[in-house]
Amino acid sequence: MPDVTPALALIIFGAGAVAGGLGALLGIGGGVFLVPFLNLGLNFPFTVAAAISLTTVIATSSSVSAGRTGQQLINMRLGMVLEVATAGGSLLGGVTAQMVAQSILQKLFGLVTAVVALIMLSRLNRRNVILDPSAQPGTLGGRYYEDESGATVTYRVKRMPIALAASFVAGNVSSLLGIGGGVIKVPVLNAWCGVPLRAAAATSAFMIGVTATAGAVIYYGRGQLVPLLAAAAVLGVQFGSWTGMHIGARASARWLKLLMAIVLFIVSVLMFVRGVR
Amino acid sequence: MTPPARAARLERIVGVVLRLGVGASTVCLGAGLTLSFVPGLSAQAAVLLHAGIVVLLVTPVARVVVSAGEYARQRDWLFVGLTLTVLLELLGGAVAALVFNRRL
Repeated sequence: MPDVTPALALIIFGAGAVAGGLGALLGIGGGVFLVPFLNLGLNFPFTVAAAISLTTVIATSSSVSAGRTGQQLINMRLGMVLEVATAGGSLLGGVTAQMVAQSILQKLFGLVTAVVALIMLSRLNRRNVILDPSAQPGTLGGRYYEDESGATVTYRVKRMPIALAASFVAGNVSSLLGIGGGVIKVPVLNAWCGVPLRAAAATSAFMIGVTATAGAVIYYGRGQLVPLLAAAAVLGVQFGSWTGMHIGARASARWLKLLMAIVLFIVSVLMFVRGVR
Repeated sequence: MTPPARAARLERIVGVVLRLGVGASTVCLGAGLTLSFVPGLSAQAAVLLHAGIVVLLVTPVARVVVSAGEYARQRDWLFVGLTLTVLLELLGGAVAALVFNRRL
């Protein structure tokens, strides 16, 4: 580990701000950017990078969800059910991360970022699904008011086994790699389980705090979380995502998604190459 | 209470827990980070930094605990069971860390 200097703290704050800003603009967590920066750029051990990133994931989840309560956009019942799967996956991932070599984690990260980039490219023009407002939401479904269309959106949740399986995988990847895992859950909930995109994103962001905590506790207990660096990253990400959300309301994200998909492919290749060497 | 009213009440409580947790941890982390670069205050800074991290980690756990309490109040036992399962999984993380450190 390098010496913790004000300069290093400032660099990590800046990296957190950029990652948080991009995360907010793209609707994904900043972890996919923060982990490679810390691991490849600053040469931190992978587990140390993942631990720092997970704490920023928790902070983002809590603050974003706190701001969204009262809008009925977060489907808490669905979230609580799926959390059983994400927290289980996360626990397993956190334990696994302690036992496998850094090169394996790097290869896996390379693979996952490539998939994330592909998902992002395939969803450049994705819009919300709006169903018949007279439909009944059922036990796990939801209903919320959408500003843009001025209508109440009602949805039912379909194919729960798929949602649970995706949540387990997302939780597993989350604490293994230090990312939120929303990028796996949101497309699945939206495309196969009938959850409108905004509700899927809000519910996923809500769950991610619990998911990341199950893994972060292991890193913290093992002494792999450097509090000072985590503090710099958390504050940076908070600042960045706050800024990103305010710009995001105005900016079109299409070109940004395209650019970031390319960046993620590069990150993926770099991580994979490092893992193979 | 009607189901939507119960859901709204839970959302409000969860919102308060999350807001308090994020606020407290941000203050601790910010103060700790600043103090850590003041000569002679590194011990105080370390305490604040660890406090900030612990509050950050406890916030989602607290959110699960209050949800379990709220579902119990509503006699929604299925969801009490689900939230308690999540709580056990979170506890499992702490136990795993202790096992790895050979303290158990």
